Amino acid sequence: MTVTVEPRSFRFVNFDPELIERVADGLVAALGIDRPLHIEVDETTPLARVRVELGDTLVVHAESGAFEDSRRPREQSEIATASSLGRVLLRARDRMQGGFGEAPADDLLTLRQVAAWETYCVGRLARLGLDVNEQRWLYNFRNRHGFTDAADTSFARIWSADGLTWGELEAISTAGETSSAPA
Amino acid sequence: MADPYKPRAPFAPWDRRQLPGLFDVEETARRVGNYKWAEMKLFEALGGWVATVPELDVKMRLGTHCYHHAWHAELWHKRLPELREMNPDRLTVPANDGMVAFVAALTEPEAPELTIEKLVGVYRVFIPHFISAYTFHMNNTSEITDAPTIRTLKLALQDEFEDWRDGEMMIQSLIETPEEVDRAAAHQAQLEKLLVAAGGIAGPGSIGGQ
Amino acid sequence: MRQFFPVDSLARDSRFNQITMQQSQADPRTVYLGTHDGKRPKSNRLTPARPDASDAARGLMHGIFVGEIQALEGAGRTCHDFETGNSDRVDTVPFALKLDMARQAWDEARHVEISVKLSEWMGTEIGQYAENTVLFEAACSTDPVLRLAGVNRALEGLAIDVFTTMKEFGDIAGDPYLEFCEDWMLADEVTHVKMGSDWLRRVTENDPERRKKALEFQSVVDKIFSFGGTRSDSDESPIGLARRFRELAGFTETEVSEIADVSLRALDERKAFAAAELHGDGGSSSGAS
Repeated sequence: MTVTVEPRSFRFVNFDPELIERVADGLVAALGIDRPLHIEVDETTPLARVRVELGDTLVVHAESGAFEDSRRPREQSEIATASSLGRVLLRARDRMQGGFGEAPADDLLTLRQVAAWETYCVGRLARLGLDVNEQRWLYNFRNRHGFTDAADTSFARIWSADGLTWGELEAISTAGETSSAPA
Repeated sequence: MADPYKPRAPFAPWDRRQLPGLFDVEETARRVGNYKWAEMKLFEALGGWVATVPELDVKMRLGTHCYHHAWHAELWHKRLPELREMNPDRLTVPANDGMVAFVAALTEPEAPELTIEKLVGVYRVFIPHFISAYTFHMNNTSEITDAPTIRTLKLALQDEFEDWRDGEMMIQSLIETPEEVDRAAAHQAQLEKLLVAAGGIAGPGSIGGQ
Repeated sequence: MRQFFPVDSLARDSRFNQITMQQSQADPRTVYLGTHDGKRPKSNRLTPARPDASDAARGLMHGIFVGEIQALEGAGRTCHDFETGNSDRVDTVPFALKLDMARQAWDEARHVEISVKLSEWMGTEIGQYAENTVLFEAACSTDPVLRLAGVNRALEGLAIDVFTTMKEFGDIAGDPYLEFCEDWMLADEVTHVKMGSDWLRRVTENDPERRKKALEFQSVVDKIFSFGGTRSDSDESPIGLARRFRELAGFTETEVSEIADVSLRALDERKAFAAAELHGDGGSSSGAS
């Protein structure tokens, strides 16, 4: 499947569009994505938001912080690029492959739901061999579900899962939620 | 019931403290002034080295130990007026030029690759000498007339032993090759010779033998 | 060992990458936080309600971690760099001031330890973020009075703001360690600010010119430590001004207001700079207001 990246040259950051294409190519193949992928990088902001539009072509909109090496500002990190793209492509695949029909649109997901889904994605990326820090995602999960044994149990189940439906993911997530966690 | 008015010995049978001590007030003040000077030089060195060592655990430990020795200097500073030295700065001096030379050599290493040398100087030379000088003083001064000095020595010695252990463990964890063993030994020997020439932290007689 | 130690010689292991304030500020990407429809969010304050809260907190915690290392190094250097004296000369400091600096070194070492443990808790690796060396630079002056102004007043004042933000964050999130640890560190910082206030006053008692210079330096550093508006009263800033804790630490209401003004100016300047960079010199911004 073809992968394209825009812009082809960067002014504010030192990113390599060919590196982005190479990483994306690898992910598309590993995840079995069956349609073209176009990646647009917004280098005007240091934030790290990434979103995807589903269509005949998948279009990923990534803010530059998502691909950035936090140790060396404005330089690209291959690991961060892979992690950011991997998560958003897995969410896209989950929606496209079925079982996630009940999932709200991205901009309607609650913070808890985002954390649960991200955990599900990153766990799968870890098993694909990507370099991830599990504690980081556990901390993120705890911030949305509470700092409790129940939340940790839910995290462990979601992290190690595959083939979940949205309903199953939601059930595990809500089982770990405490009322003190922000929605 | 025991008779509260029955006379009791002022020193209980288990209290074996004796009156005589090796040091009079003036000699005690002299030594205490030397101790204060030495503790000051040590804490200043430790504080200065924090920025120069790349090893994170060493960096943090030096900061903690810097305070320990500053606190000892403060205890000695407070003791001096109690020994009739109303101007503590007057006696806050090195025992002799030999101690000045020792401190200059101790604080000479600065480069980031010289953490072994920095630590050896403190934990294999300077602090062991504090331990010996303080122990000698504690065991030889009057347990009754000089109890406040003994109390300070005990408090300081507790830190000295723990800091020595911390430092020795850091040194052992840093020395990984025969060459590094040689570096440590060479630097220790260089500094030890200077301290021998000085006679110790309080000069000749720091641990008796005169 | 040299009497004064340059910032570019700060010793670090291979995990760290240091950048200067200049390099950091040269990033033309902006505090412009437009959403995808071009609007600005109502608040950028660091709270768990932010979508990027976890990563933002991790980044801030790492910033605290390296800041504490530099604070430890700064306090240690002040123990070393000046002769003990009665402070009539610029190159001497009173013995009691050195003792306070040694105490501060111990406190900062403990804060490094706490930050390391909290970073592990939050899933951040040592050196994962670039280290801005501006904090140690505030401790580099050859006049100890300027160090007190730059470190104990400006830097520790910033620490009060940052720790208060993190403490509130931990409280809202229900994190059992974050609020607990930040509160302990906050208590120490109040002590450090008071040390700075007291010594600055005592050492410059008979030298109003030196005191004036120190307070001017403090104001400059306060603006730098606003990091282009990262800390201010505005909700656009992730870190708020911790007015109550600053007053506990001895800042007067006037001083806190001055810092608030300086911080807001820093934010506005940063936004203007960013808009100019994004749209070319003289261009107007469409979303960054």
